[in-house]
Amino acid sequence: MDELEFLKQNWKKQEEHLPRLSYDEIYKMLWKRSSSIVKWIFVISIVELLLSTLLSIYMADANYWAQMETLHLKQATIYVYIISYLITFYFIYCFYRNYRRISSTDDAATLMKNIIKTRKTVKTYIAYILISTGVYSVVITWFTIQNHQMVQDVKDASKYTFDTMDWVKFTVAGFIILAIFLVALWLFYRLIYGILLGRLKRNYKELKKLEM
Amino acid sequence: MKSNLEHEFVSNLEKHQNIVHKICRMYTNDREAHNDLFQEVTIQLWKAYPKFRGDSKFSTWMYRVALNTAITLYRKSKKDLHTQNFDEVSFKIKAEVYDDEVEQQLQLMYKAVKELNDIDKALVFLYLEDQSYKEISDTLGISEVNARVKMNRIKKTLKNILNP
Repeated sequence: MDELEFLKQNWKKQEEHLPRLSYDEIYKMLWKRSSSIVKWIFVISIVELLLSTLLSIYMADANYWAQMETLHLKQATIYVYIISYLITFYFIYCFYRNYRRISSTDDAATLMKNIIKTRKTVKTYIAYILISTGVYSVVITWFTIQNHQMVQDVKDASKYTFDTMDWVKFTVAGFIILAIFLVALWLFYRLIYGILLGRLKRNYKELKKLEM
Repeated sequence: MKSNLEHEFVSNLEKHQNIVHKICRMYTNDREAHNDLFQEVTIQLWKAYPKFRGDSKFSTWMYRVALNTAITLYRKSKKDLHTQNFDEVSFKIKAEVYDDEVEQQLQLMYKAVKELNDIDKALVFLYLEDQSYKEISDTLGISEVNARVKMNRIKKTLKNILNP
């Protein structure tokens, strides 16, 4: 007889020796998608770094550096760049670590812990971006005001003199513009990471439900 | 709504899990690799589930997705899936029903099948699952004639492996 036919006749009989998974065991496997969400967070953070690097290379042309030079900010700007890149790399490393952790987790309790950690890292990262942007904008504006005579050729300085009320108006307007900008930035990040964080949160809730 | 979909999916998979287990046995050689593949197939099935509209049977659709996953994974990490000892999850049949000789013969046969390449293995698997050539060709995305030709070639290859 054909060997394959022989195997085929006996094929069905192996079924009783197959492993059998329960509904819950299969359900738990779906949680593994947490790991792919975290992988996306990692990938997006890298894409974001690349885009912002390209943007800053494009923006920071010779003209920009010359202007920074006159404002005595060239050195400081370089330091800010270095520090911000170091911090960004640190966050990328954290995202990567979270991803490795989550993809190697087997039990629900550790997975839940890691999901919380990941969410926290992303939130800290967004907070860092917002705070650093805010502080950087204030510092740059302040320096520009302090040194604006150096960059602008002003004929009649009296036209540009502010009294106290003008300063108050200027400061309030400045902060409102900054606040709007930061809110827009926050919304942008909510859009990129918010969806992924939402999914992680849902997975977390499902895990919790099954734990009880 | 989402959780209903999940419930429906998990229930279906629970009911038809034997298919996935058999594929895992076919493509892996130890318990750990078996579980990994099962997990991966589950995730791939779940990802593809929204596209499954019930035009075909759940099991038919499952054959396609699960075999694709096994083939892709098998290609990616041939070593991982191929190095472990064979005995642990080999083809087991109750000893009291079959005498040793029959069982031994089946073991050899099964081992020979496992030596086939990933696509041929899928073909043999569907054949053993008693699928028609029409169904096999649909699942693997090849023509019916091609499936028959391949099957004949596989039978010859198996003969050669078993009777060197």
